[in-house]
Amino acid sequence: MREKPTAGRAANAVGATTPNGGAGSTPGGAGGPAVRTEGLWKIYPQEPRPVEAVRGVDLEVAAGEFVAMAGPSGSGKTTVLNLLGGLTRPSKGKVWIGGREISELPDRELAKVRLSRIGFVFQSYNLLPVLTAAENAEFTMLLQGVPARERRERVRRLFAEVGLEGLENRMPPKLSGGQQQRVAVARAVLAEPALVLADEPTANLDSSTAEALLDVMEKLNREKGTTFVFSTHDPRVMERAGRLIRLVDGRVEE
Amino acid sequence: MSRGNHRIWWRIAWRNLWRNRRRTVFTASALSFGFVASVLMIGYMDGIVEELVSNGTRVATGQVRIQAEDYQPELSIHRTMGGREGLDVDALLAAVEAQDGVTGAAPRLYGGGLVSSGDETVGAVLMGVDAAREEAVSRFGSALVAGRMPGPGEIVLGDAMAETVEAEVGDEVVLVAPAADGSTGNDLFSVSGIFSVGVGAYDDSYALLEMGSLAELMAMAPGRIHEVAVSVERIREPDIPANAIREAVAAVSPGLSTEAWSGFLDQLYFIVNYVATFNYVVAVLIFGMAAFGVANAMLIATFERRREFAVARSLGTSGGRIGRIVIYEGILLGLFSLAAGMALAVPLMVYIHNNPIDLSRFVDTYSFVGSAVRPLLTVEYSVWGPFVSALALVTTGVVSALLPAWRAVRIPPADVLANR
Repeated sequence: MREKPTAGRAANAVGATTPNGGAGSTPGGAGGPAVRTEGLWKIYPQEPRPVEAVRGVDLEVAAGEFVAMAGPSGSGKTTVLNLLGGLTRPSKGKVWIGGREISELPDRELAKVRLSRIGFVFQSYNLLPVLTAAENAEFTMLLQGVPARERRERVRRLFAEVGLEGLENRMPPKLSGGQQQRVAVARAVLAEPALVLADEPTANLDSSTAEALLDVMEKLNREKGTTFVFSTHDPRVMERAGRLIRLVDGRVEE
Repeated sequence: MSRGNHRIWWRIAWRNLWRNRRRTVFTASALSFGFVASVLMIGYMDGIVEELVSNGTRVATGQVRIQAEDYQPELSIHRTMGGREGLDVDALLAAVEAQDGVTGAAPRLYGGGLVSSGDETVGAVLMGVDAAREEAVSRFGSALVAGRMPGPGEIVLGDAMAETVEAEVGDEVVLVAPAADGSTGNDLFSVSGIFSVGVGAYDDSYALLEMGSLAELMAMAPGRIHEVAVSVERIREPDIPANAIREAVAAVSPGLSTEAWSGFLDQLYFIVNYVATFNYVVAVLIFGMAAFGVANAMLIATFERRREFAVARSLGTSGGRIGRIVIYEGILLGLFSLAAGMALAVPLMVYIHNNPIDLSRFVDTYSFVGSAVRPLLTVEYSVWGPFVSALALVTTGVVSALLPAWRAVRIPPADVLANR
């Protein structure tokens, strides 16, 4: 029997919360939520009518949670993840990452926040094609300035854990989809971020590969306390999530 | 970031460059051919300049001349070096030849006169020379098409003048010249040689005589000369030896003027500087045209990799770092093109230098600012030409990468990842 991942530790994971102190402060103080949003809107200016992709989302994910965001295509899952990761700016509302309000940060600061606190896993892997599997996995650590020896050692250990041993020098096109996604997960977690945002990570994988990948992520969640937020409409992911947030038409369904 | 970490960005740039080999080879070819064209063009222009300076100064004037301060511009026969008393010519020549970079010095006496043979008479510049010393300074000796340099009682004519007065080697000509004592000197001289230096000003008008014979004709005392012509090793840089010569001759005799060819052949000097500037224009034009092609290819390459840049941005790569990767690609493309260009340009340069292309079928030898230019397509060896071209090439690579880099920096990650 598989162990259930860490359930939400925040009492009210979904719903309105009041920021404690405003921009730059840490709502809830030390040990507070890994990520929190308040009144989050994203509107794309488009003819004939602007598209409201996200409409007033309030959510809070505690550190160490394993959370899935589910919803049909077009419900705003990817947009919410992009907003949480600072890849795009909200039209209205605020986002806190580890207690720091990021909505108004300049690009350079946002890049630093992503580098130091957030790992991304994309639906289509998005490995850099000119780097080997090991170099891809090292990429974020490289940006952080982790010494080469330590980078290699971390990659060696994690590759052994996730079944990528011996594939270190393969270029991405020579890896299967499952292997590529495991490299992408390795890239996201090796830099030891507090939060991993994964956009439909199992969407392009067969069942057994998807299960294996979820095992890897659960293990990292359990052993390292890494917070995971997924977008998914894969029932296997929903079933294994500690908590499920449903999005419909850009809103959190109560 | 440590030095080791820096390598990865160069590695990424290098690998990116070779993702589309055909495009990179075509783009690099544009730069390489630009480099070859620039090197050969500059080498060719340098060859022309070298020939202009060489012919302009080696035919007659030398690269440095010493005269009495008041000899120019009237060229009066009375304004000899050291005044009417003259000077110790041997001591002066020894002082000049002792200077670094000096390869020869020849004393000269000038006068004007009429050369007649039969019914033909022509005005002439009479030049009294020391035949042995002229060998190191001028080309009159090597340009003899008949006979030999003049001894006492002999005269050498330019080929055009000889043709005008219908004189040949062995014929006698009458020379009439105003003398320093107010009289008119005249005498018969035997034609010992005919020269053809290829410059109309000399071939039409110059007649060479042995120094003592001309001095006697012009009633000038020994030791009175108008000029010492000096040849130096580095003909395009005569100012350094000229300065040393100026100091040395001041100790022998006061009132002398020492001037490098850059001063007394000012038109030639202007042309040399003009061509040097033109070389930069050539480099800018060639690489300016190449830059558009390179920038376009890099823009396309950058556009194709928008998603990768977006991923890298998502992972926390700064915009500056993204821009630097593209700039590195420009630098590497430039260096690769430079290596290929060098591999092509150096053998071509050596070949054309050693086997000049003869254009005499299309163009005759022509005279330009007092200098003869042969119709030869040749290139001169130089470090400067390839250096300027290499600098222009790498700069083109970098400049061409600026716009693509700027575009890459401004990629909005979320929109690109969503294919929006």
